[in-house]
Amino acid sequence: MSLSVRLRPIRARLLLLLAVVGPGIITANVDNDAGGIATYSIAGAHYGFSMLWMMPLVALALIIIQEMSARLGVVSGKGLSSLIRESLGVRVTVVILGILLIANLANTVSEFAGVAASMEIFGVSKFISVPIAAVIVWLLIVKGNYKTVERVFLAASAIYLAYVISGMLAKPDWHEVTLAAIHPTFHLDAGYLTIAVTIIGTTIAPWMQFYQQSSIADKGLKPADISFERVDVVIGSIFAVLVASFITIACASTLFKEGVTIASAKDAALALGPLAGKYAEILFAVGLLNASIFSAAILPLSTAYVICEAFGWEAAVNRDWHEAPVFFSIYTGLIVLGAAIILLPIKSLVQAMISSQTLNGVLLPVILVVMLRLINDKRIMGKHTNSLVMNIINWLVVAILILLTTLLIIATLFPGWLSHL
Amino acid sequence: MAFLSEMLGHTVADFEGIKIGTLEDLLATTQKKLTHPMITGIVVRTDVGKKVYAITDVAVLIAPAIPLKKHEKDLRSIEPAISDLFLVRDILDKQIIDMNGVRVVRVNDLEIKRVGNQYFLVNVDIGGAGLARRLGLGKRWQNLSAKLQPGSASSIISWDVIELLPTGESMRLKVPGEKLKELHPADIAEIVSDMNRIQSGEFLDQLDLKVLADTLEEVEPDFQASLVESMPDERVADVLQEMAPDEAADLLAELPRDRSEEILDLMEDEDANDVRKLLTYEEDTAGGIMTTEFVSVKEGLTAEETIKLLRETAGEAEQIFYVYVVDDERHLIGVFSLSDLVLAKPRNRLTEIMHRRVAKVHLDDSQEHIAQMISKYNLLAIPVVDEENRVQGIVTADDALDKIIPTAWKKKLPRLYR
Repeated sequence: MSLSVRLRPIRARLLLLLAVVGPGIITANVDNDAGGIATYSIAGAHYGFSMLWMMPLVALALIIIQEMSARLGVVSGKGLSSLIRESLGVRVTVVILGILLIANLANTVSEFAGVAASMEIFGVSKFISVPIAAVIVWLLIVKGNYKTVERVFLAASAIYLAYVISGMLAKPDWHEVTLAAIHPTFHLDAGYLTIAVTIIGTTIAPWMQFYQQSSIADKGLKPADISFERVDVVIGSIFAVLVASFITIACASTLFKEGVTIASAKDAALALGPLAGKYAEILFAVGLLNASIFSAAILPLSTAYVICEAFGWEAAVNRDWHEAPVFFSIYTGLIVLGAAIILLPIKSLVQAMISSQTLNGVLLPVILVVMLRLINDKRIMGKHTNSLVMNIINWLVVAILILLTTLLIIATLFPGWLSHL
Repeated sequence: MAFLSEMLGHTVADFEGIKIGTLEDLLATTQKKLTHPMITGIVVRTDVGKKVYAITDVAVLIAPAIPLKKHEKDLRSIEPAISDLFLVRDILDKQIIDMNGVRVVRVNDLEIKRVGNQYFLVNVDIGGAGLARRLGLGKRWQNLSAKLQPGSASSIISWDVIELLPTGESMRLKVPGEKLKELHPADIAEIVSDMNRIQSGEFLDQLDLKVLADTLEEVEPDFQASLVESMPDERVADVLQEMAPDEAADLLAELPRDRSEEILDLMEDEDANDVRKLLTYEEDTAGGIMTTEFVSVKEGLTAEETIKLLRETAGEAEQIFYVYVVDDERHLIGVFSLSDLVLAKPRNRLTEIMHRRVAKVHLDDSQEHIAQMISKYNLLAIPVVDEENRVQGIVTADDALDKIIPTAWKKKLPRLYR
């Protein structure tokens, strides 16, 4: 047997893998948006390495949950909102999509905060940058070629690698980093709890479940492709969390060491100092702007899509609103509102980016419970329902999130009360 | 008349008025001779699980409390037939095809009507009123919509004009696609673009080759390619043979090279060769969008002979409004229209009726240029010639205009969300 004959199956399998790969990796990249960058930066700058222990656990949870969403998409061939509507009825659909709409409005606000923050580094007022960005985003949706936009975004997201390099160049004490990653530390103060919930919320955001499942259903993958799609999900999740960890490490070994707290995007840019020196601010601003603009286009579009899918309304991108009035109103409304909120007198843009991610974390358990119910439905999933182990891990994630959220609410409403315990 | 949403959850009580459970679903049959599904049973949620009772055991179905005709101990659960429909499980909240609106919509509510002793599913509510009713806001919605748009039509459509989507399970229902065959392929294409991948795959499998070919011709090549992706090569080859060569070439160009070669090998040589030749041209040039199915005749013929010849040979051509006149080496020397031919005297030579100054384009001319030529000379089609003025094919007006006016606005939806 010649080598080429033996290689062919491998090549064929590789080609198949490449055809399937995509939704997971893209979703994971969109995940590192303005809110994500802000959250990981704060985690590193304010708490040093002490948040790192969450990362491996979050990565595990992310893989498990995204795998579930992938499996739902592959087996049913439908988007998540469609499945919710068909299996759980109108009321549940309205509640879940209402939650998604609110969360995604908050996320859109955070993307525009990212635009404002990154342009302020160049000295551009938000009253100029945000309206212009809103128009650009709107045009991108209506006129843009999605494939091209996606490629530009993915290429530009290589900027995240700057964090990996910068994190290395900052020469952190790797022994200390490793210790922090495996030794959980926990504080019951509101600030720490907020960041903990926020890290989970920004890494495993509710919108991702809808977005990834739609793009998988749209790719028309078959149950036979599940194992390849798992590879996609695992690679994407690990990449996303790795970038997140390095943002934290870079910030911890620069900002935290110097005792700088992040009050504006300019401060966060210092983390790229070891790599870019005086150009750190520019590098940071460009990366943040790219992530913000792309996510600001994706979020309203995907929100409009999943809502219209569930209610059977016409979904089409068009300048003219008559063809698909609801679809048009939702994405235009989200962009306009998202941009307008940022133009209000807001004290801190960084805080605006973080808050939306906290909301994600609080709302996530609701979406997870619904997903668990669907994935264990034999009528939808056939023999692809969850295994017992998967169910246990998932319920554990839900339980931990609910616990954290409850603690957070208590800590916010009664400051100091928990730490007296 | 009553809406299903308002019936669900009603108490079901036995002969003596003792509560058995609540109404959870209705069972209906769709036998061939019925135009509407007839209710044959009720699904009752009881303390000891679900029970299905025959409609003949029900005294009154449309009532706040549903009385049965028997004692609880005499009731026997019935076994639903494989072809039966559960209205809540199989239709409510699911997608259906609205044949009048030519679109895929979601079922918000169902309307049940009593005719004599029988109950039928008559209408489907796909509008906001149905949605509001499901949320318990039916009354408010009525008031609101009466204020906003007095006299506006509700979006309730008759069961006659809907089709169920194929879902694997519901194949056992009336054969989906029956009514769809009466639609124009452009409308079928519109509906297919509303479906998800699995639905469209199953749906296209049921269409016969001719209809499938016409439908595929109505959608953009990248969407075509995604539709045939999961079809077996043999069927794709058969469909491509039914399609115009230019459309077939466009479709093949979107497929991976290995696969398109395999499919070409399965096609008949003559068709495959036409397509292979077209594949060598750039996408947006005359060569790329032209079809090789046109009519040309030799200059020596008379009008009568030509008409006879066209009857015999021109069946395959995309259009025969223009007939091109060529010499022995296929050089283009003239053109005449079908009306020129019909109005000519039978013995007239073609050289007498044809126009010698032919508007034509070259293989590598841009689509833009072709569209301008067609519009300038008010043509239905324009011939494409090579450097030596030999006819290679024609571009029809609709193909030339496709670039400038996209077939349907829906195509604007990014690929991710189609």
